[in-house]
Order: sequence, then structure tokens, then C-alpha cells
Amino acid sequence: MFMNKKEGLILALPAALFATLLFLLPVMILLSEAFRIDGSWSLQGYVDFFAKPLNQVVFLRTLKLGVLVAGTAAVIGYAAAFCIVNLPAKSRGRVFGLVVLPLMISPVARTYAWIVILGRTGIVNDVILGLGLSDTPVRLLFTETAVFLGLLQLFLPLMIISLVSAMENIPRDVIPAARVLGASWLQVFFRVILPLTKEGLVVGGTLVFTGALTAYITPAILGGSKVLMLETLLYQRVNVANDFVSASVIAMILMVMSFSANLVLKRIASARS
Amino acid sequence: MQMRSLSTWLILGLTLTFLIGPFIIIIFAGASAGNSLAFPPDGLSLKWYLKVFTVESFRASFLLSMFLAVVGTLFALALGVPAAYALNRYKLPGDELIRTIVAAPIIVPGIIVGLALLRYLVVPLNFTVGMALFFAHTALILPYAVRVVSSSLNNLRSDMEEAAVLLGCTRVQAFFKVVLPNIRGGVLAAFILGFVTSFNQVPVSLFLSGPGVRTLPIDMLSYMEITYDPSVAALSALLAFMSVAIVFTAERLLGFSRYV
Repeated sequence: MFMNKKEGLILALPAALFATLLFLLPVMILLSEAFRIDGSWSLQGYVDFFAKPLNQVVFLRTLKLGVLVAGTAAVIGYAAAFCIVNLPAKSRGRVFGLVVLPLMISPVARTYAWIVILGRTGIVNDVILGLGLSDTPVRLLFTETAVFLGLLQLFLPLMIISLVSAMENIPRDVIPAARVLGASWLQVFFRVILPLTKEGLVVGGTLVFTGALTAYITPAILGGSKVLMLETLLYQRVNVANDFVSASVIAMILMVMSFSANLVLKRIASARS
Repeated sequence: MQMRSLSTWLILGLTLTFLIGPFIIIIFAGASAGNSLAFPPDGLSLKWYLKVFTVESFRASFLLSMFLAVVGTLFALALGVPAAYALNRYKLPGDELIRTIVAAPIIVPGIIVGLALLRYLVVPLNFTVGMALFFAHTALILPYAVRVVSSSLNNLRSDMEEAAVLLGCTRVQAFFKVVLPNIRGGVLAAFILGFVTSFNQVPVSLFLSGPGVRTLPIDMLSYMEITYDPSVAALSALLAFMSVAIVFTAERLLGFSRYV
């Protein structure tokens, strides 16, 4: 540890100044914009925003999809993580690698695949028409289901990673012991696995939930203007309507969500160390 | 036991199909011989994979994205490495505040950053869109640079550089001769992480595009709104291969995952 404070400050200052002036300051001004209507402080921007039925629908839909995606990811994540942890070491590494792989691929590429799957001439419609379930192609794109699937595919790896690392810390004999003592698998899950992995669940859930909330590409490509979410609504308010007050309100909502999620993650990290 | 391993592979098989399957579909949809996006493709050919290279706007936006990812990450490292070093080795007044400030870009959703820089740098201060885009990408990478480099500095005991200073090096010489060679892996890992993050970034660049200034993902988004041919699928597949190859090589060469 060096004691020369001036030297240290000179080294740290460029990064801090850069982040403050070219990043934090513009963001702060943007967030404050909704509170300043015609030059005076007011909450009118928020009142107006939430008074519009469309905005309410979008707000609730975003929360709903976030919860649904996180919940589904948790269910699949537990099953997958349990299987991965119990694999022999060699195949465990390989399977884990395949789970992580999609995270490195551009979200545009990953979302675009769903157009091929769900589009009018896509795989699902081929099957539906082929089986004679419908005479005309079913509209699958630009539905909440499409957005849900896209988001789930995008963020499921984060949940699996969190749960795998949580499950690796469960002592080896605990589950067999519970079984020997007569617990059913359901009891084992709720009374042994869940309590021992709840931190991993919270970490994964937070990452997936905020990821889904702040995703732009998936709702833009798979939802379009039919299934707006907060991010796509923000884009539309700015580009179509030049409505910066609504944009600022949405920005604040997203910011608050993201910030609280970060607090949760930080608390868990500090409790661990 | 047999039953259990069967259900294990069933669950994993389904999960991996869900995660990896779309990616495989993209590869084949891009290799179609037909003119519209379809799976299974109407015959196989590489024409769309080749066509991608001849689309003028893709070439321009690819170069811009490359430039942002490489130069932006280098700039973020130039800011982040000294900051990480100072936060690790010096007792600074307000170090918690500095830490929070340089980590902040990771918390702020990208779309807000893009809009904020457009509204308050480009419009009133006459920054070009290109400059704002560059700053936004740098800011986005800065937290990764500081965090990854910090963690490798943490593993390097400071008595080595103190010894170098006692033996007559200046502080700066000690940094370049002793510290930097030892945290090389961490710096390289930060570079790769920054590169991939910046290259795949969409929300930040959304509002920061203008005539002639458009990152590749944004260009792909607007291309797919107009045209419904397999070229975006082909391009997506190529980019995916590129990212995976970079990360895979990094993992093989320096055990990338240790640092991230």
C-alpha cells in the first residue's frame, strides 16, 4: 500500500472524470427531465404518463414478462443445474460450456432465429399447416409468447450458471441422507435443495428479471409495435413523438429497477465474503 | 439408475436444444439456395454467406463496429488500468466513490445512455454522433476493464514492485517492468471481454446513429425491417462464429474464464 495520495489520485482521476462528465452527468440530466415541466419542479410528467392506458398496459406487461421469464428460467434452471452438477466431471465441463456459449453470441443473431422458427413460413407454421390444424398460417410473431420465448432463450443461461454454482456448494451427502431418511423428491427439493441454493436463485432471478426488463432487441424484433415493452416504448416515444418527458419517466423506471437489482446482488456478494 | 440417467439426458437434451437449436437453424437458414428466409432451407448454397461481403452498408458498419470495439476498448483500458492500479495500491480519499463512479455504466440500461448522450452531448455541445458513440462504448467497457484488472492486481503481491523501487526503478518503470508483465493475462482478458461486449452492443448505439454512422447490429436491425432474405441469417451466423472463436481461443490460450 503506497501512501502518496496525490500520485494515486492522478492515476484514478482520468477514469473518474471521464465517467462523471461524459456518462453520469448526461444520464442524471435525462432522468431529471421528467421532474422539470416548463422550468419548475413537478411530478406532473409521472402523473400524465401513468394516466395513459397504453403506458399502463406496457408497464404491467413488462413486469409480467419479467416475472414469467424469471420464474420459468428458475424451473428449467433447477432441473438443468441439478443434472449438470451430477454429471461426471468431463461431460459436466462440456455441457456447461454449451450452456455458456449462447452468451457470447450477438443477441441480434439469437433473436433473429425466432423469426425463422415462428414466422409465417417458419417451422412451427409448417407443422401446423402440415397437420391440418389450420388452413392459414397462424400469427406467432408479434405476440407476447414470441417475446417470452426470445427472452427466455436469451437469459436462461444466466439462471443455470447461478444455480450450478450454488448447487456445487451443497455438501455431497445431504441429498442421499434425506432420501435414506424417507424424504420424497419433492420434500428433498423444498426442504434441502431450495434452502441451500436460495442465494443462487436470487442472483439468477435478479439477473434474468432485469435482463428481461431492459432488453431492447427481443421485444423490438419479436414484439414490434403490437407488443411494446418499456424499452421499445421509450424508443417509440422519442423517435415517433419527440416526447422526452415520457422517455425520461421510462428511463427512471428502468434505472430504479436496475439499481435495486444491483443492490440485491451487492448485498448477497458481501454476505458471502 | 438407468431411469435416472435417461431423464438426466432428456432434461439436458431439451434445455440445450432450446439454447443452441436456434443458432443451428440460423446457420442453415443462411445457407439457403432460395431467396426467402426458410427452414428447412430450399436447397443449400453459400451464396448468402458470400453476398454479405458485397453489401456496402454492412462493410461500412462492420468497420465502424470493429473500430469502436478495438479502439474503444483500448481507450477504456488506458483509463481503467491506472484507475484499477490506484484503487488497489493507494489509500485514496473517496475511493469508494471513485469505485462506484467507474462501475456505474454497468448498472445504467444502455438505451438511456445512448439517449442521454444524444440529448446532452450531441445536440447542445456539438459533439459528432461518432464521438458520442465512441464515448458511450468506452464508458460501457470501463467497468469491465477496472474489475478484471483489479482482480488480477489483487493476486499480485505489492512487495515485488516495492522491491523494484528500492532497487532503483522509478514508480513508472516499476509498473511497466514488473506489474504490467504480471497482469498481462488480466489485461488481455479485459480486452477480449470489452471487445465482445462492445461489438454485440445494441441499446447504447440505438439513438447514436446518423448518416454514415451506424454500428453493425443496428444496420442489421434496419436491414431486416426492409428485406426478408437470408443474408441477415448468414451474417448472424458469421458473427456468432467470430465471437465464439475469439472467446474459445482466449480460453485455450490464457484460461479466460479465470479472469471474468
